[in-house]
This record gives sequence, structure tokens and C-alpha cells, in this order.
Amino acid sequence: MALLELQEVTSGYAFGPDILQSVSLTVDEGRAYCIIGPNGAGKSTVLKTVAGLLRPREGQVLLDGTSIGGLRPDLVLAAGICYVPQDRSLFPDMTVKENLVMGGFLQPDRKVVSERIEQIFDMFPILRSRAGQHAGTMSGGEQQMLALGRALMTQPRMMMIDEPSLGLAPQVADQIFETIASLRQMGITLLLVEQNVLRGLEATQDAFLLDLGTLRLEAPSDRILDDPRIRELYLGRQLQRGTEAETREN
Amino acid sequence: MTRQRVEPSVIAVERGPSRRRSRGPLAAVATIVLLLTLLPLARPLIGQPYNYVLQIGMVGLMWIALASSWNIIGGFAGYISLGHNVFYGIGGYASGLLLLYFDWSPLLTWPIAGLLAVICGFLVGLVTLRTRGPAFIISTVALLLMVALLFDNWEFVGASNGLSLPLPPFSIETVKIPFYYAMLLIAVGSVYLSYRVAHSKFGLALRAIAQDETKAEVGGIDTRKMKVTAFSISAFFVGAAGAVWGYSLTYLRPAIFFSIAIAAEMVLMAIIGGRGTVAGPVVGAILLVTLNEISVSQFGSTELNIVVTGVIMLVVLLFFPMGVVGTLRERGKLPSILDWD
Amino acid sequence: MSEVAQVMILGLLQGGVYALMASGLTLMFGVMRIVNLAHGVFIIAACYVAYFLFVGPGWDPFASLLVTIPLFFLLGMVIYRSLFPRIEGSQRFSEMTVLLTFGIALVVEGFLSYFFTGTFRSTNPPYTTDAILIGDLFIPTAQLYASMTSLILLLALWGFLFLTRTGYAVRATMQNRTAAQIVGVNVRRISTIAFAIGMALAGASGSLISFLYPFFPNSHWRWIAILLALIVLGGLGSLKGAVVGALMLAVAAAFVSDMFGATWAPITFFGALFLVLLIRPQGLFGREARV
Ligand SMILES: Nc1ncnc2c1ncn2[C@@H]1O[C@H](COP(=O)(O)OP(=O)(O)OP(=O)(O)O)[C@@H](O)[C@H]1O
Ligand SMILES: [Mg+2]
Repeated sequence: MALLELQEVTSGYAFGPDILQSVSLTVDEGRAYCIIGPNGAGKSTVLKTVAGLLRPREGQVLLDGTSIGGLRPDLVLAAGICYVPQDRSLFPDMTVKENLVMGGFLQPDRKVVSERIEQIFDMFPILRSRAGQHAGTMSGGEQQMLALGRALMTQPRMMMIDEPSLGLAPQVADQIFETIASLRQMGITLLLVEQNVLRGLEATQDAFLLDLGTLRLEAPSDRILDDPRIRELYLGRQLQRGTEAETREN
Repeated sequence: MTRQRVEPSVIAVERGPSRRRSRGPLAAVATIVLLLTLLPLARPLIGQPYNYVLQIGMVGLMWIALASSWNIIGGFAGYISLGHNVFYGIGGYASGLLLLYFDWSPLLTWPIAGLLAVICGFLVGLVTLRTRGPAFIISTVALLLMVALLFDNWEFVGASNGLSLPLPPFSIETVKIPFYYAMLLIAVGSVYLSYRVAHSKFGLALRAIAQDETKAEVGGIDTRKMKVTAFSISAFFVGAAGAVWGYSLTYLRPAIFFSIAIAAEMVLMAIIGGRGTVAGPVVGAILLVTLNEISVSQFGSTELNIVVTGVIMLVVLLFFPMGVVGTLRERGKLPSILDWD
Repeated sequence: MSEVAQVMILGLLQGGVYALMASGLTLMFGVMRIVNLAHGVFIIAACYVAYFLFVGPGWDPFASLLVTIPLFFLLGMVIYRSLFPRIEGSQRFSEMTVLLTFGIALVVEGFLSYFFTGTFRSTNPPYTTDAILIGDLFIPTAQLYASMTSLILLLALWGFLFLTRTGYAVRATMQNRTAAQIVGVNVRRISTIAFAIGMALAGASGSLISFLYPFFPNSHWRWIAILLALIVLGGLGSLKGAVVGALMLAVAAAFVSDMFGATWAPITFFGALFLVLLIRPQGLFGREARV
């Protein structure tokens, strides 16, 4: 059964125009998905709408068949969907530890929170060694790990991660993607947005191609990677650029 | 009238859907100005309340000038100044001192007062416009209170008692006429200035700044220069109006010029009429002056008058943040006579 | 030498109360990006509450804290809930709040002047004329009590922010609103609480200044200008900045007042504000311009 379902969702910012136009997509439990598309396509907007930061103007957002569209972000989170934004959104003046404590905000039992923090520290040893450092002073990779760690504090069923490798050096990005792979092993459903198309597709099973706020294509990730026609039609330059960048990096 | 070409490099600025420019508004506005010019000649028609009518006319024209000038920085550029009456006071005192020491009539020296206001505006702008948003607004409030404090304690200008000016050399029957014409000139000048700014590349740059300053900067606009320029030229007619107003009162007192209530009215008029439009401040000024006249004659108390001002402000902000002109335009119901943008 | 110490002490005593007033204002900005131009008028309104409790049932101004704090807390909840959600999401939210609270300030001021006229008032409990002498240092009792109370209230605020779960949520919202939302903070609720706390601090300040500085309805502009200068100086939204700024500037103002006369003391705040804008537009403790 579908974990998350968007039915003809139209959405946008404050008093601005519609950004998403009638987007429908389905996410099954335990699978990993990637949303790809050019800059400004509305990828982040999809995630923000699901997370409750934006209210869908039309259409339904269903979690396990019940509507969560327009619900407050804290209630969406409590329902098991957590969101790691593109800018990571840490608390810059709080320490690493305090950020994790805030990650456990919905968990009233302090003992449980401390236990989970220990688990996160085991998963990301670097965070343990930086426990007392202010989040705002850490490197990009460390911040991304903290963002992922903080998201894990909520023990989500599904994680939405926006451009996890943005602005990171290739080796650091590799590390992040290893972490993402381990999230899949933990059984967490993943919805990824990635501007590095190659990496994003390799890390996921299915992909949605979004352009100008509409869903253009939905297909298994490896098919998109392999099918020259699709590459040509939809990804053409983008994927080439991705590949070039990749080769340059290596 | 030149039609401005919109530079594609400048960030696109949304404007009304229909951009047909007809001669209609121009003819109508010219007629209104002509009628206003002829008004003082209509003494036989007006009869007894002649001086009262000219007085109200002058007050209305003054507020049109103040609100339109404020709108250049507060509306077009989106930098809300709550201290703009500093220039009003500077103008008033400058012309008053010229009268006292050199016997030059403020009815002639108001352009000098305006220029002095521009210079002060430039200097102040250099400092306050280093900040954006709320910090800028706060710095203008602080500026106003600081200047008020200075004038309240500056013996040379009579401290809080102010200065008394010699009476204007006119008979009681004709005394209002020169003041009326001076204000008419100032009001027409400020609306024309506002119009010219709105239809220039400079105005376009200001609107780009109002929409998204960072983008405007990236788009190659020298935002600092634009803002400081807008701030200084918006001071000109405010200073000029202060000069004429002070002389018409025949006394200058800090409490009259540097009260934050004056700033409140300027802002409110521009907002009620429609911030960032040319016609808005004019409409707002006429509405509020009329309303003030009614409210004072009804309640007779200035305290409740403040309450009314505040309530209108809240209602407009909450329900019609775009003001009369903005709201009408959005609904496509703006009469062409008011479509000056 | 002892004169310098004397002026310092007087400045610090005043600074304590300024810090209390400014902290409410900066809290509102920090959490919600609201610039509350009506903060001063609410302080003055609280002065009137304290005044009438004093001249009526004869309550000591400190006892009136028991009324002003909860009363203004509730008032804050009502005002926040009824006005601000309407303009949430407008692109220039902070500027909208300036205008909106400007309107509120005019309404409240108008009513205050209508009902209570423009006459100067103040509560005058017996200790307003007392002083404690330590060596040749002169410490006005009323100032001392007021500053001590401010200190206690500020400590309580600190305890709330750093030791309670809701306080953590408030600080989290101040640092990054989106981040707070995605870890499950109900920011609407936190905003209401923060606004109400800010108002409660205004109420408390009113009780305290009712016997320190004579007031009349229009006098709130003087206060709000000083307080705004203070919080811009400390860095908008920084509580630490507001407190440190208040203490520093109050001391500076005490020296100015000592040298040039009391009328010029407020110039210190405005002068310092412009100086800071010239050198460091984001304020002493502010991050780069937050809008
Ligand atoms: N906070 C906002 N307010 C108004 N409009 C916004 C906001 N954020 C994004 N937009 C607009 O929504 C559209 C889609 O933005 P979105 O961030 O969803 O794109 P994206 O696909 O994530 O692009 P990118 O790859 O650059 O992250 C863009 O046109 C953008 O200008
Ligand atoms: Mg994005």
C-alpha cells in the first residue's frame, strides 16, 4: 500500500503564483525515490508541501490514506515524515548536542532522547567529537551529517532530503550517500531531491522528473539512467553535465 | 511626454495589466489644476467662508505634497521613513530664520528651504540607508526624536517656545491667497516629480529595490546610490511645504513640526491611497484631510482624532494593504482619471 | 573618583530597568520578526494601571506587578492572535508589523489621552524619596528596588529560555524558524507565548517606571525611540545584546546627563545608534542584516 500519495496537488508561496500544478505521485513504503529536474522546477516545493510548510491550494496529500495536506509541520512530523531542507536549517547558536536534543523535541521522555543521541553518535562518530561545538561553525559536510542525525532523532518512517550533496566536496558527498544507503537499510522510506542526477538516480529505485511545476515522467531510476531516449529527451544536457562533472571530479 | 523604454536587463516589475496610455487622465488632471488655480478668483461664488475654503485648500495641498514626496522613498523604493517630518521642520525653520534675519519672505525662499532639506536628506540618507527593513525604520524614528530634542533645547531657535515670525504683509481679506498659490505650486510640483520618477528608469530601479533588493543589486543596480538619491529628492517638497506652512502660522515651534503624528499622517495617506502609485498619496491626502475636518467638527477632540487615525491605519493594513488605488487597479476598476502610473 | 563611581552606579541602576523594557521588545523581534512600535505605549498603559491601583486601593507599585504581568500577558495573547496571523506570509512582514503596531500605538495613546488627559502623573510610594548611603555613594532606594526587580525578572526569563522545553522552543524559533518547524515546534503557539511574554515584560516595566519617571500618554514615543535605539544597537533580536546595550548606554547617558544636563541624556542613545549604523549596521551582537 502506498505510504504517501499526492493527488493533483497545486501549491505555491504566500500570495505568489501556483508553483506546483496538479502534481500526482505515489511513494511506497520502504522504497527510495528521487525527484529530479532543472533549477526552479519546484522540487523543493514538493517537499515543503508534504512537510506542511506550505498548504496545498488544491488536491490531496495522503499518508496511509488519510489526508495530511495543510496540517501543521509538527503534526506531519509526528505522523512520521521528516524533512531535511536544502539549507539544512540547523540552529546555528546551539551546540551539536543541543541541536540533537531539539531533534527529539516531540519525544517528552528525556531518557529516550539521550539514548537516541547516543545511537546517533554511534552512527556519526564525528558528531560525538564535536558535541560541544556550535552548529554554525561546522563545515558543510558536518552540518549535513548533523541535519541527518537530527532528523533521525524523530525516528521517522519516511525522510525527505533536499539536495544532500549541495556544496560538498566529492569525497564528503560520497560519505553522505553512504549514510543515505544505510538509511535505506534501516527501512526508512526515502524521498530525495538531488541536482547531481547521476548520484541521485544511483541511490534510489524510482525517479520523478519535474519540470515547471508539473510531473513529466515517472520511471525506475536505472531505466532513466540506461534509456538513451529518455536521457536525450528529458535529461540531455543536464545528465551530460552531471557526467562531465563526475568525470572531472574523478 | 516620453514613453520610457523598459530595459530588459532591469528586473521585470509587475504593473497593471492594461498598459494603454490615453490622453484622458492628462486632460482631467490639467482641468483640475486649472480649477484649483482659478479658485481664489471665485470669491463672489464662495462668499463668506472664503478664507476657510482657501485654508482647507492649502492644508489639502500641503498634505498632497507631503504624502507624494514620502511615497518616493516609502512607496517606490519600499523604505518606510517614520521621520520624514524632520525635513518639514528643517524647511520651516530655515525659511523662518531667513525671514527674521534677512527679511526674505518664505513665500519666495521655500525653494531654498527645499534645497537645504535635500542636503540634510542626503547626509542622513548616507547613514540610515546603510540598513534595511526594520532597522532603517527604527533609525528614522530615532532621527526624528533626536532632531526634536535638539530643537527643543536650542536657544538660537527659541528652544521649545519656538520663534515668532512677523505677520505677512497682507490684508486679512487677501492673506490666504499667496499661501494658497505657494502650496498649489508645491503640490503640483511634488506630484509632477512623483510622476516623473515613476516613469523613469530611476523609478524602475527603485521598484526593483522594493521588490527584492538583493536581486536588484545582482542585476547591476547601484542600489545605494538610488536609495540615497530617492531619499534626498523626497525631502525637497517636504522642506518647501514646511517653509510655507510655518509662515502661514506665523510661529515655529518644535512640537508643531517634529511631532511623530505628522509622520504618521504622511505614511497613512500614502498607504490609504496606495503605496507606490502616483495617484495614491493624492487620493489618500484628500480622503484623510476631509475625514479629519469631519472628525474634528464631530468629536471636537484631538484625542479621539488620534484614535480614528490609528483605527483607519489598522483597517487599511489588515484589509486593503494596497490602498484605494492599488485595490481598484487589481480589480480592474480604477477610473482612468486616476491611472497615472 | 567617587563622583565617577556615583554616576556609574546611577547609570547601572537605570540600565537595569531599560534592559527589562528592551528585552521584551527584542524578544518579539527575535521570535516573530515583529517590530513593536506599541511597546512603549503598553508600558505607559501599565503605568496607568499601577497608578490607579496606587491612588485607589493604595497598592504599592511592586504589588501591582501581580496585576500588570498577567494582565498584559493575556492582552498580548489576544492581540497577537487577533492581528498578526492576518499578515503572516506577506513579503515584507517586519515592515507590515511596524505599521500595524504604529496604528495600535496611536489607538492606545488616543484612548489614554482621552480618558486620563495629558497631565504628568507618577506613583509616589514612600521610598521614592529615600536613599541609601554607602560611604559617600548615594543610592536612591526606589532605583535600587526597581533594578533588583528587573534583574530578578530577567533571570526568570533566562531560566525559562534555557531550562524549560518551551524555552528551548522559543530559542530555536529565534535562531531558525523553519528549523524549529521541522523538528516539531508549533511556531504559532510559540509566537503567541513569546509575544505574550514580551507584553508581560512591558507590563512589569510599567509598574516599575511608574514611580521612577513621571508619565503622560504621549511620553511613550520618547521611550520607544530609546528602546528601539537600544535593540538596534545590541543587534535586533539578540537578548544578550539588548541587556548589555541597555547597561552600557544607560551608563553613558548618566555621564552625558552629569556633564551636560539631563535633557541631553537621550541624545546618547540616538547618537550611539547612528554611530553603530555607520560602523557596524548589524549592531553589536547581531548577525548580518536579518529582515
Ligand atoms: N520562499 C519562496 N517564496 C516565493 N517563491 C519561491 C520561494 N521559494 C521558491 N520559490 C519559487 O518557486 C519556484 C520553484 O522553487 P523550488 O525551490 O521548488 O525549485 P527547485 O526545483 O527546488 O530548484 P533548485 O534546484 O534551485 O533548488 C521557483 O520559481 C522559485 O522562484
Ligand atoms: Mg530546491
